[in-house]
Amino acid sequence: MTNQDPLEAYVTTLRSALSGMTVTDREEIVEEIRSHVADRVSTSGLTVEETLQRLGPVDELAKDYMSGALVKRARTSFSPFLILRATFAWAMTGVHGVAAFVIAVLGYALGLGMMICAFLKPLFPEQIGLWIGPDLFTFGIHPSDVPAREVLGPWFVQVTLTIGILSFIVTTVIMRRLLPRFKYWKKAAFHPSAHRRVAVQAN
Amino acid sequence: MFGNGNGREDGPEKWEAQLRKGCLELAVLAVLRPGRSYGLEILRALEETSHLVLSEGTIYPILNRLRQDSLVTTEWVESESGHPRKYYSLTAKGRERAAQMAKTWLEFADGVTTLVSPLVGSKKRSAT
Repeated sequence: MTNQDPLEAYVTTLRSALSGMTVTDREEIVEEIRSHVADRVSTSGLTVEETLQRLGPVDELAKDYMSGALVKRARTSFSPFLILRATFAWAMTGVHGVAAFVIAVLGYALGLGMMICAFLKPLFPEQIGLWIGPDLFTFGIHPSDVPAREVLGPWFVQVTLTIGILSFIVTTVIMRRLLPRFKYWKKAAFHPSAHRRVAVQAN
Repeated sequence: MFGNGNGREDGPEKWEAQLRKGCLELAVLAVLRPGRSYGLEILRALEETSHLVLSEGTIYPILNRLRQDSLVTTEWVESESGHPRKYYSLTAKGRERAAQMAKTWLEFADGVTTLVSPLVGSKKRSAT
């Protein structure tokens, strides 16, 4: 049973944890880990289990690989999914990441909501609209118990589509500008310029 | 404002782990300076000269990142023991970055050593 082989189990977990990478990158990492284990076992008399233990927990190893790779890909990506995943990884590290994640979620949610409105309008022309009443300002379905009138009329689809697309673009641009800070935060204490600042203070 | 740790309650172990981790990149570049090397060999070189490596796995993501930043190049070479090894060598950019980091490190370490020596009663400061 290959499942019992500790190296195979380690490699399988590593592969699935690195599933966000390209196959080439992932397999190269797996090959390198295999090569490391083979070398360690044949030259230092350690067992496979001991070698794997010295490599550290597999999820931690994968996290180390992914945080760099994910953010790097997201920084040049137009995929909201990828950007959200990278920002989520950032959010796990502290309050600034959480703030960035909230901006991303709100921006994309607004974009998605507007797209859905534009899509639903031709299907339910009487219910979907920009409804404005004495106590109401809402894009979407008209709440039947509140007095309100639809103000956009034939422009509804164009307006919601424009706002939707703009939300996606603006959020993506903002996140692509914010994400490089993630790396900066992680390395701040050891960044060359941080060294210089501390050294200046120390003198 | 940026990452100077105000109000953070990190224990001494965590601080030490971060310190080691932060130096690892420079240490790896330094090990690669004489010529190409592979993961385990780099680890052994680090173990001989320093106590930087806590968990052996940490070195591979760092090597991967150095490659993405074009500081090192990689090649697979068949070893005498029958399996391929991934060798890393410094690029011109890597060499430059290593020299720049080393300079920063030396200035930094000098300043901090001067500052902290009295804490452990070292005579180093009074000698200067």
